[in-house]
Amino acid sequence: MHHQISHEPAFSMLRVDLDPGDIFVSEAGAMAAKSTHVQMDAKLTVRPNAGFVTTLGAMFAAFIRKALGGESFFVTHYTTNAPGTVWITPTMSGSIVHRRLEPGQRLTLSAGAYVASSGDIDVIVKYAGLRGILAKEGAFFLEILGNGGDIWFNSYGGVDAIDVNGTYIVDNGHIVGWEGALTFDIKSAGGGLIGMVASGEGMVCEFKGQGRVYIQSRNFGSLIDWLSPLLPG
Amino acid sequence: MRYQLLYQPVSTMAQFDLEQGEQLLVEPGAMVGMTPGLDMITGLAKQSGGGGIFGAITAAAGRLLAGESFFQNTFTATRGPEQLLLAHTLPGDMAMIDVQGAGLKLQSTAFVASTPGVQTTGEFGGARTFFGGEGLFLLSATANAPNQQILIGAFGGIQELQCNGSLVIDTGHLVAWDASLTFNVTKASSGWISSYLTGEGLVCSFQGQGRIWMQTRNPPEFGSKVGRLLPPRTN
Repeated sequence: MHHQISHEPAFSMLRVDLDPGDIFVSEAGAMAAKSTHVQMDAKLTVRPNAGFVTTLGAMFAAFIRKALGGESFFVTHYTTNAPGTVWITPTMSGSIVHRRLEPGQRLTLSAGAYVASSGDIDVIVKYAGLRGILAKEGAFFLEILGNGGDIWFNSYGGVDAIDVNGTYIVDNGHIVGWEGALTFDIKSAGGGLIGMVASGEGMVCEFKGQGRVYIQSRNFGSLIDWLSPLLPG
Repeated sequence: MRYQLLYQPVSTMAQFDLEQGEQLLVEPGAMVGMTPGLDMITGLAKQSGGGGIFGAITAAAGRLLAGESFFQNTFTATRGPEQLLLAHTLPGDMAMIDVQGAGLKLQSTAFVASTPGVQTTGEFGGARTFFGGEGLFLLSATANAPNQQILIGAFGGIQELQCNGSLVIDTGHLVAWDASLTFNVTKASSGWISSYLTGEGLVCSFQGQGRIWMQTRNPPEFGSKVGRLLPPRTN
């Protein structure tokens, strides 16, 4: 399977060339074009032939996500009986990042950041609790467990990888994901309650430990907040 | 006529340098700036083979139904060399594409400008385009002279693909294609339920040999992602 990311950074597109036997998975609705003979199937899990318990778990998480206003909970599986190509695009302007996950490596993504995956990868929907709700990233995160596989994720705006050794603070609307031995906490940006409101920063995420944080240079929530008062009442 | 595409790909603007006597047909609203010696005439889109006023009005009405303007502006450099700047509404790229053989079909909002030998008419695409989500009409462009070109504007980057036999494109990503290609709207996956669940629904399936230009962002998809979070319309 050969892949190529083009039109970076604003209008990124992922092209994947498939051979017979390959299984490539994308979020629902992301296909821009494909060879006619490439077959698409809607599945609940990224892992083909997932066991009953995994599928049931995925279904449960999926329905909760949908009920909480999340995105489509199905993913699309692409297979082919002859060499073929699929072109994948995200909805927002921004980048696509490719990350190879070797056995034992894991990556946490905010719920909307997943674009596609292939190989031995598990995507587990994790309940983030109150932290997740406060972080505006939704109550769920995606835990990506690799055992030799590829993951592609997207950002709104440009994406930057920040290597953290100690403590690093990110505005909650700018988090794409993180990996390594990091814990995170939701905090006020500083200055107590008044500082939180007056600074315009609201809540921030504080990462502690050693690892890498992926941030995006635009904030989807801010776009909505900016647009909303401009609409005719 | 020389042209340059500036600020690609996010905020693309086309700069045309016209020699005396050269002309451009431009979609109303696309002009950003111009030197004062350019004459602008607003009229009905030009018709090939005469057709008289009735033909012109029919073509214009077709353009209107295709989501384009009823009128088209003709810019002429009558007195000497002039410059014209053109832009598109959405953030994205632009491209000059050649009108070959059978002509081109365009998704309704993609047309920005053309050389004077290009005729554009709205074309009834039938139910297939209706179900394709691109509206009932397409824009059909043909050339009555050699070396004619169209300036297209897109949402996102522009990717030219070569259709060798067959290719499937999501309707929201279609910009333009060679009229030599035939297409029909089909389901993305083998089953109806699966097609719905993959989030693709209906797609355009092309057959034949020809060029297809697609855009790397999908306007209706973007609209629905942002739109569902905005306050509801009250009127």
